[in-house]
Amino acid sequence: MHIMEGYLPASHALGWTIAAAPFVLAGTARIRGIIREKPEARLTLAASGAFAFVLSALKIPSVTGSCSHPTGTGLGAIVFGPSVMAVLGLIVLLFQALLLAHGGITTLGANTFSMAIVGPWVAFGIWKLAGRLGMPFAVAVFLAASLGDLATYVFTSLQLALAYPDPVSGFVGAAAKFAGIFAITQLPLAIAEGLLTVVVMEALSGKIRDEDRVATLAGEGK
Amino acid sequence: MAIGTLDRAASQNRWRHRALEEKALIGFGFLTLALILPPWPGAVLVTLAVLGFTFLGARVPVRLWLATAALPFGFLMSGTLMLVVTVGPNGLAFAPEGAVQAAGLVARAMAATFCLLFIAMTTPTADIFGGLRRLKVPLELVELALLTYRFVFLITDEAAAMTAAQRARLGHSSRRRWLRSTAMVIANLLPRALARAQRTEAGLAARGWQGEMRVLTRQVPVCNGMLALVVLTLVVVAVAGSML
Repeated sequence: MHIMEGYLPASHALGWTIAAAPFVLAGTARIRGIIREKPEARLTLAASGAFAFVLSALKIPSVTGSCSHPTGTGLGAIVFGPSVMAVLGLIVLLFQALLLAHGGITTLGANTFSMAIVGPWVAFGIWKLAGRLGMPFAVAVFLAASLGDLATYVFTSLQLALAYPDPVSGFVGAAAKFAGIFAITQLPLAIAEGLLTVVVMEALSGKIRDEDRVATLAGEGK
Repeated sequence: MAIGTLDRAASQNRWRHRALEEKALIGFGFLTLALILPPWPGAVLVTLAVLGFTFLGARVPVRLWLATAALPFGFLMSGTLMLVVTVGPNGLAFAPEGAVQAAGLVARAMAATFCLLFIAMTTPTADIFGGLRRLKVPLELVELALLTYRFVFLITDEAAAMTAAQRARLGHSSRRRWLRSTAMVIANLLPRALARAQRTEAGLAARGWQGEMRVLTRQVPVCNGMLALVVLTLVVVAVAGSML
């Protein structure tokens, strides 16, 4: 869920940018390492970034009757790993702002933090945890993708509540308000995205001829 | 809105070949003012100034501008609605002081969005990344972004073709089938995108590519008169916005 341009006060916009910076820098360092070792990965990364961006142009049906678009957060975290996703996510968000006027420049830090850092790390953590618990593949993918989306949406609500606390009930009340209003669109989206990612991952496994290339990006390659 | 619409509008814009510095100063300068000045009258003055540059200067097509400006309104409306109500011990209640805050927020968010639209509709994205390279943003990031930009339109076309083929074969006839169809597009798109990257890489490697995209860019000298006008407007808006 993108926070629109100008919605956050200057101090919050700056604060979230500073908070997101270490993750992006760590991701950049990681990408630098990957490229130094395998220069050809540069194009693989670029194609992956473009793929993540194009996902947001696809439509999926949403339970409320409208349609929505997948975020690719869970899928990206599972396939590429969360540290690379911070950088790819930042680039995708920048393109969404400049090419689609979706999100914004001053809210880029806050959006990066919720969508390219919190979402992927939660999805990745759940994916790993579910694997360790021996859950079936489809269940693990569903949980990772839908809970990754939910984490993003809850975190965005917290960001908004922090910026605009309720005059009576403060931060907690504001968080409940924002989470409540955006739940209408975000809960069905999380479920739809979970189901979608299951079908994608099942169709993908065995399809990519050079799985090594993808595994390298996720930091699991040889 | 199609992915290429704004970028195409930017490439055909009257100010396409103005110096990046001038356009960046207008877009980011007023964006900063929109954020730091009090919404009344700061945001209103920023809106007036940016709309002046957008329509009188750059002559952005009004219809496309309106269609794009309307997009963030869903978020703005639902987000602002939440400031007008308050959650207390007796449940939801109207918050009178919240209405003032909400109006200020709408004014500021709209002013900021208009600044973003000015940049998006006068400056092609590739130019912006070219500018970032000069600003010492880590080169890996800029190069990656530029390469990504080049892939975006190719992969979009591919996804659009697949979706059209599915629609023609009743792939979106029910919600279930629609979700499945979209999943199949995604699952087919990723290997195709990676294969395309591999082919491009092989082609570039054969030509001795060193990992840097060197393309000819037209160096436009900064127009001092224009720069003076922009700085003057910025100063007037900043002073008026903080004093009034």
